Amino acid sequence: MNYFPDEVIEHIFDFISSHKDRNSISLVSKSWHKIERCSRKRVFIGNCYAINPERLIERFPSLRSLTLKGKPHFADFNLVPHEWGGFVHPWIVALAKARVGLQELRLKRMVVSDESLELLSRSFASFKSLVLVSCEGFTTDGLASVAANCRHLRELDLQENEIEDHRGQWLNCFPESSTALTSLNFSCLKGETNLAALERLVARSPNLESLKVNRAVPLDALTRLMSCAPQLVDLGVGSYENEPDQESFMKLMAAIKKCTELRSLSGFSEVAPLCLSAFYPICQNLTSLNLSYAAEIQGNHLIRFIQFCKRLQRLWILDSIGDKGLEVGASTCKELQELRVFPSDLHDEEDNDTAVTEIGLVAISAGCPKLHSILYFCKQMTNAALITVAKNCPNFIRFRLCILEPNKPDHTTSQSLDEGFGAIVQACKGLRRLSVSGLLTDKVFLYIGMYAEQLEMLSIAFAGDTDKGMLYVLNGCKKMRKLEIRDSPFGNAALLADVDKYRTMRSLWMSSCEVTLGGCKRLARNAPWLNVEIINENENNDLMERNEEDEREKVDRLYLYRTVVGARKDAPPCVTIL
Amino acid sequence: MEKDGLGLEITELRLGLPGTEKMMKKRGFTEMIMTSSGSNSDQCESGVVSSGGDVGKVSESPVAKSQVVGWPPVCSYRRKNSCKEVSTTKVGLGYVKVSMDGVPYLRKMDLGSSQGYDDLAFALDKLFGFHGIGVAFKDGDNCEYVTIYEDKDGDWMLAGDVPWGMFIESCKRLRIMKRSDATGFGLQPRGVDE
Repeated sequence: MNYFPDEVIEHIFDFISSHKDRNSISLVSKSWHKIERCSRKRVFIGNCYAINPERLIERFPSLRSLTLKGKPHFADFNLVPHEWGGFVHPWIVALAKARVGLQELRLKRMVVSDESLELLSRSFASFKSLVLVSCEGFTTDGLASVAANCRHLRELDLQENEIEDHRGQWLNCFPESSTALTSLNFSCLKGETNLAALERLVARSPNLESLKVNRAVPLDALTRLMSCAPQLVDLGVGSYENEPDQESFMKLMAAIKKCTELRSLSGFSEVAPLCLSAFYPICQNLTSLNLSYAAEIQGNHLIRFIQFCKRLQRLWILDSIGDKGLEVGASTCKELQELRVFPSDLHDEEDNDTAVTEIGLVAISAGCPKLHSILYFCKQMTNAALITVAKNCPNFIRFRLCILEPNKPDHTTSQSLDEGFGAIVQACKGLRRLSVSGLLTDKVFLYIGMYAEQLEMLSIAFAGDTDKGMLYVLNGCKKMRKLEIRDSPFGNAALLADVDKYRTMRSLWMSSCEVTLGGCKRLARNAPWLNVEIINENENNDLMERNEEDEREKVDRLYLYRTVVGARKDAPPCVTIL
Repeated sequence: MEKDGLGLEITELRLGLPGTEKMMKKRGFTEMIMTSSGSNSDQCESGVVSSGGDVGKVSESPVAKSQVVGWPPVCSYRRKNSCKEVSTTKVGLGYVKVSMDGVPYLRKMDLGSSQGYDDLAFALDKLFGFHGIGVAFKDGDNCEYVTIYEDKDGDWMLAGDVPWGMFIESCKRLRIMKRSDATGFGLQPRGVDE
């Protein structure tokens, strides 16, 4: 290939889109490195503090699409202080200054301000797509700038963000000339929307395939929206707690019947059973269904709905569906690939007989041969069930099991669940992501280290006995990228055993474990290419000034990650970077 | 109102499990919970009826499960938007769920029908059929029970601190728990900076 002109090589590289592959290509030779980096359009940065925007732009001048992730995963569970960091502003400033032709920006767990959105909307003339997931810090005013100024906007996708809703007219800000929208998702907004503006926008967007409205869009408005957008493929509905009257129901059903392209359904933050039944006509076409926010709906209604969904590939549901419901799913949804069962009762105050158990999990594994991803919250589990699941489904890529009560053993044998999880990692040779729970000793980590060769992400909570547990994982899992541990007895010995291991990982999180300040300091000294962050929300934060005695003090929260740009300058007082 | 007797522990924001202290050796989760809720010998002056046979249930892990920060691992967006409770748009009006440690069934009560904390105390006493819950509002130190509530943001707060109007606007559910279990609970301290 060295005898081909650069343009030919570049053309060949165009066929290679995976980040991993392109990263590999760039390591082959100096000339390939140059061709690759100059032609690279899409860049994924899993940790926004691993690199800085200036170096990104220097290496990839033709950048069109950027994905950035900020806070660590456990921020989802309130374990990371609000002011921790992950600000997108410096990135937008730098990209604007360098006149990068940015078209697409995807952010996850980052802090976004209205100022950032305004700057974004004015700086990139070809900007097409904005996807914000679990972000915060902005208001509907920022959305108004994007709507008004991004003349070629095709996609505005807001998933699970904390957005201050000023109840303004941001939807009005889309100019009449804006007709290119393919995807609009504002389901996480809490306030009223300008329904007339929404309807006009949808009516003039013939390419709109995905529309997800918020809970404030009433039934009659939904009916009108569906009527003028029968081409929709992906629909997120609002909140319908009251049974519709006969006329509204008929109109709704008629509109739904026309949406023959509809494949994905979500929303339903509250839904009266009759409303749900209006969707029966299109159930058989659905490949994706998310009813996991419909907390008030009872299991039998869910089951009736699922019975029609023969083509379902992805199902997100609440545990109110019960084991019986999962058995129905197992016999109906033969194409199922991904299942998520969320807990409906987070405080477990009620004697909940309808929640799911190991029975439902086994049923699904037996009935759905294509299942490869599962997130399952349940109140009990057994080794026997997990061993059966492993036999039924050796193709798991993601297996996340959360037994609601920490440290709960196998409820039939009172033993730990080491053997059950051991069976999973042994059978599922392609397993990339695993979350464990229940009573677990060091042994489960021995199994994980031995068998989970493809494992990239592991979440541990209330598990293990000694440092050996963590060591088994660090030594065994060669492909480990993200390790997150809470409330487990792993300490300095495990943390410091193989410092170079962290060169091959994106990050390590340890909270309420046994690591001490002294251990973390030693790690930071031996690994200057790591940012070792200590998060401590107490008043007295001057960790560096404490005397020797305090080296033995346990660290509340530790977050370390490899970086090529050293300690970040935007850390709040509660974060100390060693 | 005398608050000293409450002890700062109740209001201290912590991430550790109930009973956790610094430099502590590792203990099993259940072991921690049993220790912190083990002693139920305190009796309220007004003669609270002991929970009797239900005490055993109280000290099991289910009580502690919801006390641990970030557990179960459900993301905060989902917690705020899908709990089987009064929705945010109806906060303060209508019924809120009331749970009491040791009592197996949830009750519901209409906050709107009470005029103030005294009224609420009376109503709670009536709801559970014994006298003594309300005493916590007036004379918190001496009562075996504390009344806490979950606010709009999903945080657990000690009832009785904020003005009544503010309370009913933000209260999503109530919980009456034993004082001994409240130590180390992730209660939000008053006036904490966000």
